[in-house]
Amino acid sequence: MGLPAIHPTVRRGAQIVAGLIFLAAALPKIADVAAFAGSVHNFHMEPVVPVAATNLLAMTLPWIELIAGLALITGVRPRAGAVVYTVLLALFTIGVAAALARGLSFECGCFGKASAATIGVKKLAENLAMLAVGVIASIERR
Amino acid sequence: MDRWWPDGTETGSRLWLGIVAIVTLGSALGVAQNVMLRMGSPNAGVAWKYEPPKLEEFGAAAADGHAASPAATPVVDPTNNDPLGLGAATASSGLDVPDLARPMQVQLSKVKEFFDAKAATFIDARDAEEYAAGHIPGAVNVPGEQATTDPARLEAFDPQGKPIIVYCGGGTCELSMSLGFALVAAGKHKVLVYMGGWPEWTTAGYPVATGPTPAGA
Repeated sequence: MGLPAIHPTVRRGAQIVAGLIFLAAALPKIADVAAFAGSVHNFHMEPVVPVAATNLLAMTLPWIELIAGLALITGVRPRAGAVVYTVLLALFTIGVAAALARGLSFECGCFGKASAATIGVKKLAENLAMLAVGVIASIERR
Repeated sequence: MDRWWPDGTETGSRLWLGIVAIVTLGSALGVAQNVMLRMGSPNAGVAWKYEPPKLEEFGAAAADGHAASPAATPVVDPTNNDPLGLGAATASSGLDVPDLARPMQVQLSKVKEFFDAKAATFIDARDAEEYAAGHIPGAVNVPGEQATTDPARLEAFDPQGKPIIVYCGGGTCELSMSLGFALVAAGKHKVLVYMGGWPEWTTAGYPVATGPTPAGA
């Protein structure tokens, strides 16, 4: 796919890091769905995602993160987990960028209620770094 | 090395199958969790469909903000969204609105009755440009943000005993809902929110006006 060849250890390392990130993100959100639903709603995605569907998103997203995180860490279908991770992070990054562009300022709830990270350039940079980990983790084994 | 890092070859359909499995399993577990939570207690978990915030939440927000507290004595059950049956197509033709402790939703047919009878004061919650481009005749423009930046204006707003109908650009119309709550907090007791808003009004072919808010309004 045009991506450079990569040492298996680096890729495996990236997969474990990505998996841990998703586990850390998923667990607090699963523990408090209601709080996460509020966070999702803060992004005001109604032009793209129907408002009625935001709760549905809030209840399923953390579990998808959890399963993908487990796949990445255990090494059962790690590449599938890595692709899910990368696609989701790309969407999250677009969400953060869109919120930023519209001047919305709120706590993103990305890692649950406890993390008080506010939507901003720092959050965007953080997301891009996590996205890079996902890309490395998804590189095809050869 | 593969023995310890079982990284099997995941390409083509094998990769896709894995991805579909992760997403399906995750979604199923998420829905299952919410089913279990809501079986335990109807207020646990999250509603299947997102709904605008309730009065209680607004009250909590107002308590640490500058807005006055909502009407002290609720005349109607605050958990009932539509005690007057205003939403029902067959609602009675009466246009009397009792004092309400929170904004009530109102549907197009009823809005039109109020409009024809000049029995309500209309507030357009959209921003000034949208308002100038077209609004319900007689509506006053109070952009949603003013509700928080200029509460004094809401308190000074005199509906002359008439119900206030707030509308905006349709959809979920959070702008008008939050403005509705702000009006209640500012001491107005007959606040109705018309969720269909501008798009529904124009689609119905009802009268429109253009230009900025008349001076003194």
